[in-house]
Amino acid sequence: MYQCKDVANEVNNYIDGDLPLAKRVGLFFHLLICSCCRNYLQQIRSTISIITVSKPKEDISTDTHALAKKLHAIYKTHDH
Amino acid sequence: MNFFSKLTSQNEQLLIKRLIDGDQRAFEQIVSEYQNIMISVARAIVGEAFADEVVQDAWISAIKALPKFEGRSSLKTWLLHIVSNGAKSRVRRENRHSSLDDGWQAVSSEKFDHTGHRYDDVLPWEDATPEAILANEQLQVIIEEKFRQLPAQQRAALTLYDIEGIEMKEICNILDVSASNVRVLLHRARTTLHHCIEQYQENN
Repeated sequence: MYQCKDVANEVNNYIDGDLPLAKRVGLFFHLLICSCCRNYLQQIRSTISIITVSKPKEDISTDTHALAKKLHAIYKTHDH
Repeated sequence: MNFFSKLTSQNEQLLIKRLIDGDQRAFEQIVSEYQNIMISVARAIVGEAFADEVVQDAWISAIKALPKFEGRSSLKTWLLHIVSNGAKSRVRRENRHSSLDDGWQAVSSEKFDHTGHRYDDVLPWEDATPEAILANEQLQVIIEEKFRQLPAQQRAALTLYDIEGIEMKEICNILDVSASNVRVLLHRARTTLHHCIEQYQENN
């Protein structure tokens, strides 16, 4: 019988459809009877949507304008 | 085309043509579009110290090889493989290794009793659409800060899978890790960001 802790450990594999059938069914039945875990599942789904929409980025210090200029100059002088 | 693609294949063809013709604005566009994700992949493989250098070398290789680009993959995937190969070579030279366990905190076991049941109720988030949550600029800043504190491998897995929508098999090739390890990285990154949003929701 699966418990809340199992849902917490497997919630992302459950969402991504990456679980063996028996485990998937076991977690599904736990979710049917446990509103806490249903809410937790929904929160993780919301988290993924928030990540997808907010698109957090790496902290980079590159001067992209200067890099593009440099690459353009290299391309122009490169023998194609 | 999938939901995540920023450039349609038609626009991509056009961009490649402009690059081959030497249009400087096309160089600006490609760098601003892909520099971030290339840095993310390089940092995940070779670490912070060498990432900028590896990405710069990858750009130069890509620009020189551009006329030979055959379009068998998307421009993004092609660039990511170039930076990935450069980073892997650098790892071999530097003999560096990174651990999946860098900076990982699981869901606290204090949340569960000895039978694995939760002690506390989990309540649904109010107005939990991403748009509603992200209308709050403060939370956006918090999410970005938390994202930047994640280990590089977790950031890359999250960026490639959840943000860029790249297929799992491709991510395994790019990051040189197994699918089960990418799953672990995704689980850890999402759990950390969930925890950060949850705390914000509780305090506001």
